[in-house]
Amino acid sequence: MNMSADAPFVSRPRSNLIAGALALGVHVVFVLLLVFGVSWQTRHPAPVMVDLWEALPPPPPVAKPATPPMVKPARPPAPEPVKTPEPVKVKPAPRPEVDEPPPPKTPDIALEKKKAESERQKKMQAMQAAEEKARAEAARKVQETQLAERKKRELLRQMEEEDLTRRMADEAAASEARQAKLAEAQTKLAEAAAASKRQAEVASVVGQYRDLISAKVRGNTRLPDNLAGNPQVRCLVKLLPTGEVQSVRVTQSSGNAAYDEAVVRGIWKSSPLPLPGERDARAAFVPELSFVHRPKE
Amino acid sequence: MNPELSQDLSLLHLILNASLPVQLVMLLLLGASLMSWWFIFIKMFALKRALRETDRFEREFWGGGDINAMYKRVAAGRGEAGEMARIFEAGFREFMKLRQQTGLSLNVIVDGTRRAMRATYQRELDSLESHLSFLATVGSVSPYVGLFGTVWGIMIAFMGLSSVAQATLAQVAPGIAEALIATAMGLFAAIPAVVGYNRYTHDIDRLANRMESFMEEFSNILQRQATKAS
Repeated sequence: MNMSADAPFVSRPRSNLIAGALALGVHVVFVLLLVFGVSWQTRHPAPVMVDLWEALPPPPPVAKPATPPMVKPARPPAPEPVKTPEPVKVKPAPRPEVDEPPPPKTPDIALEKKKAESERQKKMQAMQAAEEKARAEAARKVQETQLAERKKRELLRQMEEEDLTRRMADEAAASEARQAKLAEAQTKLAEAAAASKRQAEVASVVGQYRDLISAKVRGNTRLPDNLAGNPQVRCLVKLLPTGEVQSVRVTQSSGNAAYDEAVVRGIWKSSPLPLPGERDARAAFVPELSFVHRPKE
Repeated sequence: MNPELSQDLSLLHLILNASLPVQLVMLLLLGASLMSWWFIFIKMFALKRALRETDRFEREFWGGGDINAMYKRVAAGRGEAGEMARIFEAGFREFMKLRQQTGLSLNVIVDGTRRAMRATYQRELDSLESHLSFLATVGSVSPYVGLFGTVWGIMIAFMGLSSVAQATLAQVAPGIAEALIATAMGLFAAIPAVVGYNRYTHDIDRLANRMESFMEEFSNILQRQATKAS
């Protein structure tokens, strides 16, 4: 019997390649989305240096912005900023004072001269006898007045010049003083900042160890049954540099003797107390430690 | 700057720096995901084609055409015809063969025809349902596989943490991130597989229902024809 005529048809799935390509495409798209869409990079912004100025910032830094901001703090408080405003400030001030006085004076002199002349002419016409005398006198008078005027002017100018030089010197001295003051203030500020930073560090370490000690003592303290509220006991603990407890004294009682006793026992039990390794921070604990304890945090 | 904080957390970097078991898990999941997508697309094309061919065949069959001509056309190009057409062809061929043999009762002829159609139907259904079990497996197992990779990675990250004096988040963060990628990949493989599986089983069920109804109707038609002839 021939079976080939009855052989069943078995369908073969096609388009496998297209399906495979599509599957790959889906994955590629997904990976691209992940890599480029989601930025997993943790990037931190670059540090920014900030200068603290007590006075207004001087104009020169504006004139040359090309100088990188990172270089500035390294330089001592800029000598140019204070010097440059000096000529600008001083020069315009004296100019009006020097130039202005002469112009009003010259017309005065001319007027006077003219007056004297007219008077003399009148006198000449009126009295011929006194003419010579009067003329000489007038001439002398004019000369005198002129001389006096000149002298006065010279004196004035001299005074003004002196004034100017004095003022200039004053100004220079003042600006120098100001500059010195600024520099001093800045160094002081920097010092203070460093000191406060250091202090803060030490304080944080001290606080940390204070908490550690509190926790240890709290763990070793068995509270009496009749304790109510959160009473506070202050103890003076004498410590060895290793943290070993030498003596404990209650300086401020909680009012509950049993509780005071329990805290003292707890402190003894906690010996040696944890101490910071740093010397500055250790100074807060080592020879004596004033210790405040509360049953609850 | 603290180098730990500015660590490069790019995806590729994390995957390449993962521990070996986690990398193996990721590789496995990537393969599963690729395969499941491949099958999803294969099934998508196959089912679309099956639906189209079935619609076409039903339109033609109930359109009142000549059954003999239709049979000849389908028998000539069995590969091109749809599932339902092949069922029709198998049944009709069996029917013709049985009719040529004399002395066979009507019941025997109709039963033989129905058996032939059912055999083809089973075969067609089997070919339609192929690979679906793979989708089901990927859909249910790959989250667990990913979870395994994650647990392993986190375990290793915390083991590394135990050897340092001061534990910081920066020391475990990369390990946990790389471990979580395994879970992400597991879910990425599982979700389309589950969706595809549910969708395709539903489509195949509906197609199977149509084919079964057609088989019943076609056997009725053949029975009517046989009684008329005898």
